[in-house]
Amino acid sequence: MLRHKLLYLSFGLVLLAGCKPPEDATKPDAAATTNPAPEPEPEPEPAKLEVSTGECDETQTAISKQADERAKPYGILPHLDKNFADMKISWLIKEGPYQEYIVEPEAEFFGRCNDAGCFQFAAPTEVIAAAVEASITDEGHDAAKLGKALGLPAENMDGPLRMLTLDLRASKTCVRLPVDDDPGVWKCKSEDDTDCFKFGGYTSGGVPELLAINAPVAIAEVREIP
Amino acid sequence: MSDEQVLYRSPMLHRLLREADGQLVIEVVVGRMAMSAVRVRLDAHEARAWTEEGGAFADRLAAKITADPKFGGRAYPADS
Repeated sequence: MLRHKLLYLSFGLVLLAGCKPPEDATKPDAAATTNPAPEPEPEPEPAKLEVSTGECDETQTAISKQADERAKPYGILPHLDKNFADMKISWLIKEGPYQEYIVEPEAEFFGRCNDAGCFQFAAPTEVIAAAVEASITDEGHDAAKLGKALGLPAENMDGPLRMLTLDLRASKTCVRLPVDDDPGVWKCKSEDDTDCFKFGGYTSGGVPELLAINAPVAIAEVREIP
Repeated sequence: MSDEQVLYRSPMLHRLLREADGQLVIEVVVGRMAMSAVRVRLDAHEARAWTEEGGAFADRLAAKITADPKFGGRAYPADS
């Protein structure tokens, strides 16, 4: 008897289960519709390379912190991120000083050197390169055009030049915002002064700049600009 | 240029020269992202200071020129 009751009960449960609507009755039957083409997976965004201030010693780290404090809410990292995202820096030097102060003495580092290191100002490579390209002529380069593009006096640009480029990711060179006491800085004295120093990471002509400490000569790319 | 004699050279990118006619001249690399060199002829007072102090005087004079690249109109392009 009990066995019969259990059988009826099981049968009832099977019927109930059969009447139960499918779990997701509101959704179209996946098997009854054609499978949509799988959506193409979005291209993975290229990983944004992080900017870095490189390998700075204690002294330069301290100066950089003070500069960042003064520039707040700006600072060297936002400056790199905004203007030097590819971490490539460049600068120009006339052929004469290049030969005299870099080639002839077989300099290890670029820039003005004292006991604390060698200090080289630089701008984003893309800015310098674009200005140089736009100034190239059949005879060489147009100093006035190059000077104007970089907000600098034309006389700083006439005659053969060298464009030096350094990949900071490869060199791990220490970089920071320049400050008033850095070698090579001079303060504006008149409105005619266009290459004088203003704190904040931009030249008085509005070009982004930074200071590289101990930028190695050996791995720099050198371009002749006739 | 080849007739000049280098009397002093600094890693701060300046040097003191004696030109062929005996004139003492200081050459200083100026500029930041675009660097060039200017020269200033030493006057008698400066020449005496160089004789007495040597490199220390040249370094001070170079610092003054760096801070004022026209140097009161006395500086001229090194490649002129």
